[in-house]
Amino acid sequence: MAGAFAAFSFPFSTSEAQGIMGGHVTGNVQWDGQMSRRDSVIGASDVPEKILSNARADILYTNGNFSAGLRYEGYLGPMLGFDSKYSGQGIANYFVSYKTQDFAVTAGHFYEQFGNGMTLRAYEDRFLGIDNALRGIGVMYRPFRGITLKGVLGQQRYYWETRGLVRGVDGEVSLNDLVESWSEAKTRLTLGASFVSKYEGDETVMSDIPGYKLQLPKNVGAGAVRIDLASGGFGLQAEYARKGQDPSMMNNYIYKPGEALWVSASYSQKGLSANIQAKRVDNMCFKSVRSESGEMLYINYTPAITKQHTYAFLSMYPYATQSTGEMGLQGDFMYKFKKETLLGGKYGTDVHLNASLITGLDTTIVGGKGTDGYTSSFFGTGETFYGDVSLEIAKKLSSKLKLTATYGYVLFNPVVEAHAGDIHHNHVLIADLTWKINRKNVLRFEAEWMGSDSKYTAEVDDKRCGDWIMGLVEYNFTSSWFLSLSDQYAYNDGVGNYYNISVGYTKGATRLQVGYGKQREGIICIGGVCRNVPASNGLTFSLTTSF
Amino acid sequence: MKRIILTFAATLLFGMAMAQNAKLPENVTIKTLDGKTVETSVIQNDGKPMIISFWATWCKPCNRELNAIKEVYEDWQAETGVKLVAISIDDARSSAKVRPHVDGNGWEYEVYLDPNQDFKRAMNVVNVPHTFLVNGKGEIVWQHTAYVDGSEDELFELVKKLANGEEI
Repeated sequence: MAGAFAAFSFPFSTSEAQGIMGGHVTGNVQWDGQMSRRDSVIGASDVPEKILSNARADILYTNGNFSAGLRYEGYLGPMLGFDSKYSGQGIANYFVSYKTQDFAVTAGHFYEQFGNGMTLRAYEDRFLGIDNALRGIGVMYRPFRGITLKGVLGQQRYYWETRGLVRGVDGEVSLNDLVESWSEAKTRLTLGASFVSKYEGDETVMSDIPGYKLQLPKNVGAGAVRIDLASGGFGLQAEYARKGQDPSMMNNYIYKPGEALWVSASYSQKGLSANIQAKRVDNMCFKSVRSESGEMLYINYTPAITKQHTYAFLSMYPYATQSTGEMGLQGDFMYKFKKETLLGGKYGTDVHLNASLITGLDTTIVGGKGTDGYTSSFFGTGETFYGDVSLEIAKKLSSKLKLTATYGYVLFNPVVEAHAGDIHHNHVLIADLTWKINRKNVLRFEAEWMGSDSKYTAEVDDKRCGDWIMGLVEYNFTSSWFLSLSDQYAYNDGVGNYYNISVGYTKGATRLQVGYGKQREGIICIGGVCRNVPASNGLTFSLTTSF
Repeated sequence: MKRIILTFAATLLFGMAMAQNAKLPENVTIKTLDGKTVETSVIQNDGKPMIISFWATWCKPCNRELNAIKEVYEDWQAETGVKLVAISIDDARSSAKVRPHVDGNGWEYEVYLDPNQDFKRAMNVVNVPHTFLVNGKGEIVWQHTAYVDGSEDELFELVKKLANGEEI
């Protein structure tokens, strides 16, 4: 058996694809697992199976314009943080596709996004257990140069089933490609529009008035228009979306139409850039099943505009869009002090500043279920949900030493996670030092501190509260091996001591990582979506490979 | 059972002997930084080697890799004619920040957006950074995931071999 496994695993370690009938087979495999022990201090629960594991393998066949794919997924049992509805195994995704420059058709499971996704975004994030692939048919057609039309028809993936019925069309005009004399113009202008509709049969939902049943719309539509303008160093992108009456569990069955606006403006030249984004979202949650309150069956996506922080304490309170209603403003600035200047020094200095503020809408309640719910003023703001400021300075100190120093301030209102309590105000300091000892050996040190006005209480049980310190040491032998040790410790007003040791090996596109330690309970955000992960305590492993 | 295993292993080994390098896909839709929709067939370097690097604005090792190569990119190009093509997998949340990010860092690379992650899926990229080497015939001959300070030197050794027409 071991021999068969060796023979089977061997092709994975090469970058060469297998030739079959003139086409190519490629793919990737991912296998994660954990052995978790109970820990009452951090709140990790018992795992009856002892070992939890998620596995997946994608196999892709391409031959010229034709491609086809299959995906196996197995959750035996699903890892902590993945919904128990994933439990099981089988072929979760399959498709065939034919694509030329001007025409494409895909049948089976597919992913698609119209504009910024405000009317439709079928996507997956394997690390978060989010997959709302459409199963059906998708076509793309370019009748003239510069015009792209798309159409989709399908049902959404819901764990091991499909639900809902979604239809959508999208058109995009690239004026520089359409108008011959503009093709070499310095200014580029692209316009787009989309319309998406869902159908769902009737059901019985009682209104707030006893004895009266709600008259539910069976077809709900959403449309959007967008613009993308680029001229020299300037860029402007905007999208505006509206949605018809869509009473659902998510908005407590109110009939107010939905609306969302997103604007991004930027200027950049070499070594300098600025980007400002603004957003207003009002009752824009769009799901294919009105009674679904979980994280599945979203048809659209309203991007969070806050910066995606990656240091542990800065990302401790991540922010996800409140699709029921919010206003947001975000600014990002980068500047590079050149080499051999006063602030640049011998190697130059990079400065990165970001700030954001997200608030609720200014609303007036007009009724409950079966009414419009509330009215809102367009420019009015409600309570503060989230705010942050971060200043990051990166500097090469010598040919061997690189330092990144960061100060961050985070304001977080627990109401966005549906908890009561005071707003948390946190100050964070981070030093991240890389020491390249020689060509093969690299050490990295990270020290973080977080001071907070929040205090841990047993009633709220938010284990992020209090003042924290963290240390991390990482040793790398080339890019093949790494060993890291880290510890996060609440030294004041908090609870918890999260230690972790990890070792990893990478060869080509194959990576194996094994860790032992305590995983913080809380929200993990990857790719702009956030979800709760319960605490775990024990051994974890992860194997990924592409071939 | 043993015979079945041997037959299976032999079939796979025969398959290996027949193996050929996969070509870089040509008809996957991506976007330029000024909003133009193009196909991956635009990724070309006149028969010279290419580095294809999948990255994201929020990915720290990706940024370290692209910043480190920036320091030596002119020398690499002069010596081997290599071109680095950076594919951003940033989604709607951060794709509008990619162009300011590229300019702010002073990168001179050819950069494309893959907001629907079609190219990422076609190339079987699981984690970023994920770096591919493509030879002058457009074949993917090497790939690696993860970046540590200094691994750009290893990458350049391979680029030099490719530029000299050697196998890697």
